[in-house]
Amino acid sequence: MRPASTMRRYRRRTYINRFMLVLTVGSTGVALIPLVLILAYVFQQGIGAWDVQFFTESFRPVALGEDTVQTGGVLHAIVGTFIIVGVALLMAMPIGVMAGIYLAEYPANRSSTIIRFCTDVLTAMPSIVVGVTAYILIVQQTQRFSALAGSVALVVLMVPIITRTTEEMLRLVPDSSREAAIALGAPKWWTTLTVVIPMAFSGIVTGILLALARAAGETAPLLVTVLGNNNLAYNIFGPMQALPLLAYRYTEQPFAEMNEQAWGAALLLVIIVLITNISVWLATRRRQAG
Amino acid sequence: MANPGDRAERYLGQRTSRRGFIRGAAAAGLLVTAGTAFGGCDPDSAEVDPDAPDTGDITLTGSGATFPDPIYQLWIDEFRSVRPDIVINYQSVGSGQGKRDFINNVTDFGSSDAYLTDEEMARVPGALHIPTVIGAVAVTYNLEGFEGIQLSGETLASMYLGEITNWSDPRIQEENPHLEMPDHDVATIFRSDGAGTTWIFTDYLAKVSDAWAEQVGTGTSVQWPVGFGGEKNAGVMASVQQTPGSIGYVELIYSLVIGMPVVALRNRQGNYVPPTLESVQEAAAGYLDDLPDDLRVSITDPPEGEHAYPVSGLTWILLRRERENRAETEALIDFIYWALTEGDQLAVDLHYSPLPDEVLDITLGLLEEVHVDGEQIFRRPD
Repeated sequence: MRPASTMRRYRRRTYINRFMLVLTVGSTGVALIPLVLILAYVFQQGIGAWDVQFFTESFRPVALGEDTVQTGGVLHAIVGTFIIVGVALLMAMPIGVMAGIYLAEYPANRSSTIIRFCTDVLTAMPSIVVGVTAYILIVQQTQRFSALAGSVALVVLMVPIITRTTEEMLRLVPDSSREAAIALGAPKWWTTLTVVIPMAFSGIVTGILLALARAAGETAPLLVTVLGNNNLAYNIFGPMQALPLLAYRYTEQPFAEMNEQAWGAALLLVIIVLITNISVWLATRRRQAG
Repeated sequence: MANPGDRAERYLGQRTSRRGFIRGAAAAGLLVTAGTAFGGCDPDSAEVDPDAPDTGDITLTGSGATFPDPIYQLWIDEFRSVRPDIVINYQSVGSGQGKRDFINNVTDFGSSDAYLTDEEMARVPGALHIPTVIGAVAVTYNLEGFEGIQLSGETLASMYLGEITNWSDPRIQEENPHLEMPDHDVATIFRSDGAGTTWIFTDYLAKVSDAWAEQVGTGTSVQWPVGFGGEKNAGVMASVQQTPGSIGYVELIYSLVIGMPVVALRNRQGNYVPPTLESVQEAAAGYLDDLPDDLRVSITDPPEGEHAYPVSGLTWILLRRERENRAETEALIDFIYWALTEGDQLAVDLHYSPLPDEVLDITLGLLEEVHVDGEQIFRRPD
């Protein structure tokens, strides 16, 4: 038999434990409420705009006094978002991954400290600042708004995310694996390429997808660089439309049809980001299983 | 003065359905009505080349005022069926950015409800102001059960200066003998972003109220003594709808589409006039006698016009006089010429007033000043 005082203390600890558990679960719930509310509200507001036309047609102007109001769709913005973000991804991926490899695989020195610091500063950079910089450096120099300028702005936002996740993931690879490869006579670059990166692969992909999700929803840097376009455009050297931009602009329109399309575009954007995040989850799960 | 209406009727008579008319004509290969338009861009022959330029698609980009955005989009769409080889992209980013983009030369044309200041003109030598339509700033309010409120400019200025704080103020009551004004606080709402709408509105207040001219002045954004701001037209509209006792100003089409009550404003002749197609056009007519050559003119508080609405304004397309790309310049002028001469009925449908003939005449003269490599691009057909 334990003494009564010990039992009492044990019971108190149990109560505190339960109390804290309820508190943490409750906090998680509170944190989830906005997410659920946003998803539900965007879905409720946006689903009405979704019809075949919404996905297959570009902008049509609203004409008052016509019997049939043509509303058109947002195909031009869907295509534009994929092109702008795709081009940005093609540029950000190699830069980010290679910078991450440099930070993780090579001995720390002054330059890696500086790079790491700069990366952290870039992560916290307001996206509108990046956009305005791209406006001054690219739009004003080339004298035209372009999708490419928007992609470059997004690259600046994506690279630090990819760099830091790649670095963290490569650090998780145990040194014994590297030592084993080197012991077998593999040079450092061969070790990195065939041992370290494959082991951290799903983690690196996670970083890339997270960066992709961040870039897809950005409005501010696109506002001042790609301008927007009401026509379906494929030329990356000219103005282009994007989903977040369209949602932002259409909310200001006097016409209810266009306001509704803004919600529809927001819903589509949320779903794209959601799918990306679910892919991240799947990628992470496979790594843990393997 | 009645001519724009005649033009509209003539145009109306020609079409069974607007789209059908234009598409049909385009399919016929040669436009009878638009033929005159394209003769203008080719000084050597008055004929239209049916299989027009083989230079491929021309893309033009413009940015600026939100006020004419609905009509510009409609014009662009209709013009596409007339000239499928020209792709125009107009983005309503606001007059402020539109002017900035034009000055930085990152667009093919700018658009603004406020003309360039002398300082800005100095940065773009040879900037042309091409008016397209006339619009109005509607003063809207939220007082349930009170229809048809009338105000003079002085009273309106006093409200925005914070001197009148209650709707039952004797100055308001005096102007509304048909109403029993409620004892309710006034909440003034303004545009927080730089806007041509604000420019027209403050320009009017500065003309009718010395106190306003001294204390606040005219601008696309000003230091408001009282009240709170809304982002863009939609923000002002939402604030007015949510705030009982509020008063705000928006582009006319917003109050029309959403169905908010508008204030009838007193003009110089002493009549209380609500914003309508006719009252807005009459405001422009009130300034016909002293139009400047460059058409940089404000038409608020017109000296003449029995039923002229006093808070009206021209909206301009901004062009450079000397341009580099010939094909693009021709395409742009073709579009503007078509919009001004064939697009007026579309404008009327959307509650914009087309330019009076006198203004149109000066405008076409301005278009003739556009040059590429020293060569005139446009000559108006006789």
